[in-house]
Amino acid sequence: MHVRVDPDLCQGHTLCALAAPDVFMFDDEDGHAYVASESVPEGREDAVTRAAATCPEGAIVIG
Amino acid sequence: MSTDTSGDLTVDFDQHAPAYRAAYPGVADDLRARGPIVWSDHHGGYWVVTGRDVLGEIAKHPELFSNDRDPERGLKGVAVPAPEGAGRGGFLEMDPPEHMDYRRVLNPFLSPGAVARWEPLVRSVADACIDGVIASGRIDFVDDLANIVPAVLTMGLLGLPLRDWVVYCEPAHAMVYTRPNSPEFVHTFRLILRMVEAISTSVAEAGARARPGIIKALLDAREAGAPLDQDGIEGTLLLVIGGGFDTTTALTAHSLEWLSRHRDERDRLVRDPTLLDTATEELVRYFTPAQGGGRTVTRDCVVAGHSFRAGDRVWMAYGLANHDPEAFERHDQIVLDRFPNRHAGFGLGIHRCIGSNLARMSFKTMLGRILERMPDYRVETDGTERYADIGTINGYRHLPATFTPGPRVGPPFDEVLEQWQREAESERFWAAEA
Repeated sequence: MHVRVDPDLCQGHTLCALAAPDVFMFDDEDGHAYVASESVPEGREDAVTRAAATCPEGAIVIG
Repeated sequence: MSTDTSGDLTVDFDQHAPAYRAAYPGVADDLRARGPIVWSDHHGGYWVVTGRDVLGEIAKHPELFSNDRDPERGLKGVAVPAPEGAGRGGFLEMDPPEHMDYRRVLNPFLSPGAVARWEPLVRSVADACIDGVIASGRIDFVDDLANIVPAVLTMGLLGLPLRDWVVYCEPAHAMVYTRPNSPEFVHTFRLILRMVEAISTSVAEAGARARPGIIKALLDAREAGAPLDQDGIEGTLLLVIGGGFDTTTALTAHSLEWLSRHRDERDRLVRDPTLLDTATEELVRYFTPAQGGGRTVTRDCVVAGHSFRAGDRVWMAYGLANHDPEAFERHDQIVLDRFPNRHAGFGLGIHRCIGSNLARMSFKTMLGRILERMPDYRVETDGTERYADIGTINGYRHLPATFTPGPRVGPPFDEVLEQWQREAESERFWAAEA
């Protein structure tokens, strides 16, 4: 599974990190999210799917 | 002012009316049954967006739905109704790209990493507040704790003397609980003017004394060539004070009131502190401290299948969209482990509450201290007073409670403030930010 954060949609709500704090990081400058790696670690697919489902902006793209 | 298509969607709605306060959040069901957007004839006429998904669509189009307040262009800002004579409310009443000039300066103070450094201050100040009442067995959660902690924290962030929290406290709260254009508003408006004067003075002094914080950062950015002007800077500080003081107070008071009536849920939170993260989001969703925000339509358009006309006023009803039954199962219940939770409690789109990380941290810290130090507290219905008008902020003026007295744990309040004042002026404290 692959995941990325659409920087045009992310507004820094930070809810993704509640689901997968090991996958989603936050920029120190604007607090917006980015992924540590686009490849989702094995066993973390469910957590990433939940992160995408809770994003208020629909900014998390799974592919 | 009204549009041709609004007739069949008209409802008798006014978020500032006592009826709204009495019916919230249940009123969301009735409104949502009429569709995701309804029309109110109050306050000159405006659309009320209650559908969670429609709200998300509108929030993606700041070029069509303006936050700006500029009478010459017919733009009326984020308050419905727009207050007469007041200046712009900082970057919340700006559109891109102008609003980013200010947010860019503030963001580094408010990222998840940057706010973590303030947690020890919040904890110390909360403990000092509790120490002041712990022997008596009585507390007013608003007056004795939830008004004070976010206010002191905001002073620290701005780079103002921590003890100045008291200068801004009453006007910051009165500004949002007084019904616009009501008789009491005259008094409140005077308080606001006094607060604005204090801010202007502080900006001038900060320029000379350069205490670290948001004020200095704004002045430095202007010095370095960023297009920031005096009105924008002062409006921004007023916005940070209004947003920083009152919203977290409201969330804390509502949550403590609810947990007083739901002791099994309170016990769950005490037993399992890992629940605090999802619980915080859920309480923000359910009570939605900042109930909504106004927009002005910039040109005729169709968004989310709905026709808008240039000049239409729109109220983004975050507090109602957070109870949209199509978006939230069991929306009328507080489910502390609700997840996913796509709530709009911090707004949506480019104007997302800039202090959301700070609010979460201070709320969780205050709640944690209460649950540890007065776990058996009981709110007293006598003396509890909500805001008369919750259309801006869904808050409390007073929330008294009783509990089993306990021991003090730290130095007196004034000493704690002095200690943290020294800390907040040290290079070490700010260096930890990076």
